[in-house]
Amino acid sequence: MDATLRKRLIGIFSDGFLVLYFLFALFPIVWMVLVSLKSTDELFTTQFIFTPTLDNYQAILFGDARASAGVIARQEFPRNFMNSFIVSSGAVIVSLLVGVPAAYALARYNFKGKENLAFTFLSFRFAPELVVIIPLSLIYRQLGLYDSYFGIIWVYQLVTLPLLIWVLRSYFEDISPDIEQAAMIDGYPWHRIFIQILLPLVRPGLAAAALLAFVFAWNNFIFPLVLGASNVQTVTVSALGYISSAQAFFNRMAAAAVISSLPQMLLALSIQRYLIRGLSFGAVKG
Amino acid sequence: MAELRLEHIYKTYKGGVEAVKDLNLTIQDGEFLALLGPSGCGKTSTLRMIVGLESITRGDLFIGGRRMNELEPSDRNTALAFESYALYPPLTVFENIAFCLRARKIEPSQVKQRVTEVARILDIEDILGKRPVELGGGQKQRISLARALVRDPDVFLMDEPLSHLDAAQRAHMRVELKRLHAQTRRTTVLVTHDQLEAVAMAERVAVMNLGVLQQVGTFDEIYNHPVNEFVAGFIGEPPMNFLPCEPVSEGGELGLRATDGSFTLRLPSQRAQQLAKQNLKQVKLGVRPVDMLATSQAGDDRIAGRVYTYESLGEEGQLAARVGGHEVLIVTPPEDHFEPEQPVWLGVRPDRLHLFHGETGAAI
Ligand SMILES: Nc1ncnc2c1ncn2[C@@H]1O[C@H](COP(=O)(O)OP(=O)(O)OP(=O)(O)O)[C@@H](O)[C@H]1O
Ligand SMILES: [Mg+2]
Repeated sequence: MDATLRKRLIGIFSDGFLVLYFLFALFPIVWMVLVSLKSTDELFTTQFIFTPTLDNYQAILFGDARASAGVIARQEFPRNFMNSFIVSSGAVIVSLLVGVPAAYALARYNFKGKENLAFTFLSFRFAPELVVIIPLSLIYRQLGLYDSYFGIIWVYQLVTLPLLIWVLRSYFEDISPDIEQAAMIDGYPWHRIFIQILLPLVRPGLAAAALLAFVFAWNNFIFPLVLGASNVQTVTVSALGYISSAQAFFNRMAAAAVISSLPQMLLALSIQRYLIRGLSFGAVKG
Repeated sequence: MAELRLEHIYKTYKGGVEAVKDLNLTIQDGEFLALLGPSGCGKTSTLRMIVGLESITRGDLFIGGRRMNELEPSDRNTALAFESYALYPPLTVFENIAFCLRARKIEPSQVKQRVTEVARILDIEDILGKRPVELGGGQKQRISLARALVRDPDVFLMDEPLSHLDAAQRAHMRVELKRLHAQTRRTTVLVTHDQLEAVAMAERVAVMNLGVLQQVGTFDEIYNHPVNEFVAGFIGEPPMNFLPCEPVSEGGELGLRATDGSFTLRLPSQRAQQLAKQNLKQVKLGVRPVDMLATSQAGDDRIAGRVYTYESLGEEGQLAARVGGHEVLIVTPPEDHFEPEQPVWLGVRPDRLHLFHGETGAAI
């Protein structure tokens, strides 16, 4: 077998594999969209019956026309969606405000316990949320943070902050301190150096980390479930509401899920360019 | 433009490293001085204190007669060309050079004029629109110099500016920098550990070791009259030979005998008198490889040795000979050839020998 033939075979093979993986990865999304377009009668059949309807979307967005269900009395999906949006973007914004300076400090300065501190941030990420949730919920109730936006945004820092700090730290470490010092001699105050020189250099990492943090926050289930109630209910938690002892509205749940995943998909597509470069830790070149 | 004066400058880093100790140095207005020394001797620390990136632990720094110790880097009107170039990657070459002018709120038309002028001097007009990533080392170096020059600094500092260039570019930039200095007559300090660079460009050379300034002077002064063993060994290529000796008197005249007894040497009367005054037990004889000759005949006042290795380098040869327990390097004329293990007799130019204190290393 000659080399070109082998190359082509390998090419076909890997393409085939990618197509398979693509189908595999996309299947749940396709299924979810299909289910969201079905009526309740079509849901639980063994044959594939499919007459697409937008009823489910109509129901979750504008209320159930027939009002038969009683599962969700008021139509809360738009509100839940807003809640999700508020707490997720709030969490990312707070993480940016805190994480960027923290990452910079971890990259630039030597201080006592620096590595321990950095590791502590990271450990937020791999400690199971269930471990802290009970004590947290007691504390939250005492402090009056229970069921408040502020409380949820705060606890989401456990999810969003470590990622930002660790990605950005490696970016800042890649930038030579000489560059900042040169700019200092050139007569720039630190904040202008940061905006004009450093920020453009860390932007890919910033974008990628912020997006991922947003996705993690958006998908989080346990924190708003335990630490929130009707005020801050997010789409992840409200999905539970489509199932009751009497009936399970999987089709509405699917419709809600479709709408809920739209922001993430749009975001990911719009900054796709940054994503790969951004997470391949440190791509700054002087 | 201004005179730069360092008075009793000390730098002690956190953790107790004494990088610079009691440094006294004056660089005249318009002078080009090279700060030369081995790695870790405190050259960069000195520069960074002058620019203001590092605080001065003790002592006073004056530029143009004004005390600078407490001033911010941006208020000292010094310019530093970094070893790593430290260009601003997000900005174009033009904006890199214009960056400091923009900080001073200089009119755009003026900015353009000054940048173009500096770019012309450094021959980088054609790359003003590019970004640093697209450029090679030599070009980046020019940009970093342009950036330092455009602000019209009182004192121009360069930290190993040529160390990342290849040999050809380095030779070229040496000429360029020298020309630049001749054109602008700016007070300039060049930090380097390459003496060729220092000789080629600077008017005076300051040699440092272990944070202490050893000697300042023109290269000739330092080469011909090194104040101690360190300077003697550091300056000059190939490096000076050192042989431990003890003074002996022979028939009323003071001479030298190798500590291991391998040779004796008469001293010129003036050197003998100098040595006699000191009344030392131990001295070091220092001779540069170029101030020695090697023959295959024994002769008066020749040191007997044995060839260790010989390399012919075209224009000259380098002979390493063993004298007693020591190795001695001699630069030989191209027509001479030597075989290993062959006996040789080495002559020393009596007017070119150096004597150093056996313990302190100070020149006698
Ligand atoms: N920020 C710092 N903190 C602690 N010690 C330092 C610091 N910077 C330099 N030193 C130490 O001070 C000494 C002098 O360093 P310096 O960088 O001035 O040497 P140098 O002559 O520039 O050397 P090289 O030729 O390697 O650049 C060294 O021992 C170095 O380890
Ligand atoms: Mg240095």
